[in-house]
Parts: sequence; structure tokens; C-alpha cells
Amino acid sequence: MTGAQATGLAGREADSVAASAVKAMQAEGRHSEARERYAELVGRHQRRASRIAFHYMRDVAEADEAVQDAFVKAYSHLASFREELPFEVWFTRILINGCLDRIKARTRRERWIAPMPDGPAGERDFGERVAGRGPSPEDQLLARERRKRLAGALARLPERQRSVFMLSHYEGCTSREVSVLTGLNESTVRVHLFRAIRKLRTLLADIPSAERRVEKRHVTP
Amino acid sequence: MSLLNRLRLSAHLDDAALAAIWTDGRPSHPHLSTCAACRVRFAEFSAWLENMRVDAITEADEHFSAERLVAQQAQIFRRLEAAERPARVIAFPKFTQPLTSRSSHASRWIAAAAAAGLMVGVGVGQLMDLRHSLTVSNSAAVQTRVADAPAGARRDARVQTISGTRDEAFLSELDASLSRPAVPELRALDAFTPRAGDRAR
Repeated sequence: MTGAQATGLAGREADSVAASAVKAMQAEGRHSEARERYAELVGRHQRRASRIAFHYMRDVAEADEAVQDAFVKAYSHLASFREELPFEVWFTRILINGCLDRIKARTRRERWIAPMPDGPAGERDFGERVAGRGPSPEDQLLARERRKRLAGALARLPERQRSVFMLSHYEGCTSREVSVLTGLNESTVRVHLFRAIRKLRTLLADIPSAERRVEKRHVTP
Repeated sequence: MSLLNRLRLSAHLDDAALAAIWTDGRPSHPHLSTCAACRVRFAEFSAWLENMRVDAITEADEHFSAERLVAQQAQIFRRLEAAERPARVIAFPKFTQPLTSRSSHASRWIAAAAAAGLMVGVGVGQLMDLRHSLTVSNSAAVQTRVADAPAGARRDARVQTISGTRDEAFLSELDASLSRPAVPELRALDAFTPRAGDRAR
């Protein structure tokens, strides 16, 4: 057993203990104590939840709201939580379902409402345009371009492949965990992961060659 | 080992094969142990995927700074607290000054007018009652006069009561009509018919 796995196991046990305690306090009507104890769970899963939500939504404000909704929903439905399932898995399921619902709603909205044009640099938020103390502007630009390409390629994957890829690769979930989260078979999860990687490889390899073709066409008189 | 298997093992691995090996999570393909070029390609492939993961996580973490997470947590607990608090009942808006003051002159006038109306109504009611009783006493006097009058005059007398006791008026009218048959052909028959008054005499 690796160190990370041991830490994960200890974290899961702690989650289970905390979730049971919050459940008991809720049942006894000790709500303020329950909330205090729930803060422990929120603190442990908040960053990971924000990452997952951001990868799904690709919008900071919407991801923020999705995470808030998921934690509020998990707290109010904690009575239906069964200890045999890790809290992390149960909560991630709530979060992913919330994100998918939001994406559906956004798609519907975009079908009928014309989107607002982005700023001159393509950012949504003024805060993003403020210079930081991190990498150079050139590196930032390159990184932004790379991320944009990756996000575009991910967006072109079918929903299941995208979910499986993000959970397996970004979040480091095992095939079994992804299977519980998505309701797919373990072998189906592996097939989706394989297909997602192949498609991403093709899509991300195609873009530079396509760009080169466009450049050539411009140069040729 | 069959020739087909040997050929398969000797062929270089394509992207699909590299993806399959990576997905399995076991980089122990027989070809990788023998082919250095494919080992390098597999390492590149793994690095490409790892870079993608690091890039994605870095991007998300850049957006969700520690301050933002603190604010998010505070917002979550505000929402939880608000959900558990019982609903607040907002009072119906009230005027600081009532639209109509009870001590105003108008209300006094209204009360006085109502009292006066009541008194007038009672007075008129009394007068009407007095008039009615007077009418009844008049009709009684008429009946007395009819009874005192001779039989012929009695036959012609028409008792006209305005209201009075209706039964008495009806009976007296009936009496008058019976005492004088209106049909001429029956008068002879009527003359032969004995009367109750005659028998008693």
C-alpha cells in the first residue's frame, strides 16, 4: 500500500466518522453543532469539488455555485447517506449530477439567448486581466492557448467519455470508483477511458497540422 | 509462440496500443521490454497525459484561490443556516396615522345623523300605528250602522273596509249576497225555501 493510498483510506474513515456524527446531531436537533462538524467535511473536499466543477463547467462563477449547491444538498440529504459508500463518492455523485443539470440548462439558454461578447483579451473577469507575480506574460499566453485547445478537445468528447476521463485522469479515481460514480460497468469505464484518450490524441495532434495548413494557404499567393 | 504472435510483438506500437497499455495501468507489454523506441514513445505518451493533468489542475487551482474557497465556505454555511432558520413572518404594513381618526368631527356628525334618523323612524312608526288603529275603529262603526239599518237598506249596504278584520268583511258580504239572490229565475224558489230565522220564530 502506497503512502497516498493509506492517506486516502484514513481520510475516508475520517469522512465516514464525521458524516455519521453530523447525521446523529441532525437527528437530535443539534443543528449548530452539526454545521460545525460538517465544516470539517467541507474543508476536506472543497478544493477537489471546485476542480471537478470547474472542469465540467469551464466557468468559475458557475462552478462555485455548483459546489455550494452540492454541499448544501449533501447536508440536507445526509440522512439518506449510507456508510457502506464512501462520503467522497456519494458527494461527488451529487456534484456531478448538479454540474450536468447546469450544463443542460446552459445549453438551453444558449440556444435562445445570444451570448455576451468577451473582453478584448477574451477573459470574462477583470480580475483575470490584472498582472500577477507568476509566470511571464508570454508563458501565460502559451499556457492559456494550450488550455483552450485542451478544453476544446475535451468539449468535443461524448459526455460519458469526458466524465470518465476527468474522473480517472484528473481526479485519480480508480475504475471501480468511476463505475460507482457514473453507474457504468468497470469494463465499460476502461473502454470509455481508452476511447477518450485516443480521441484526445487525435484531436490535439490535428490542431497544429490544421493550423499549419491554414498558414500555408495564407502564404501561398 | 506462433508466427503471428511473433510478428505482432515485433511490430512497433501505435497510439491506440499505447493508449490501451496506459489505460490498463500495467506498462509491462512484452514489446516494451524489447523495443527501446517504443519505450521512449510510451514515456512521451505518459508524459503528455501527465502534463495535461497537471495543466488542468493548475488552471482550476488558479481560479479557486484560498480566499475564494474561504468565501465559498462562508457562503455554504450562510445558506445552511438560512435553510434551518424558521420562516420569518413579515407583518402586514400598517399606517402610522390611521386614515380616519375616531375623534374627528365627521364621525361625530355621522353618529348624530344616525341617532336623529333612528328617532325620526320611531316617531313615524308610532304615527302609522295610530292611523291604523283609527281606521279599524271607523270600520267597526260602519258595521254597527249596517246592523242597525232596516233589511232593505241592509241589502243595499255595501260594507267597505279598507283593512280591518277581513273575515268579518267577507262574512258580511256573503251574508248580503245570500240575502238577495241575484238570479231572477231563482227568486220564486228562494221564496219557498224556509229560513233558519223563520223556524226559530
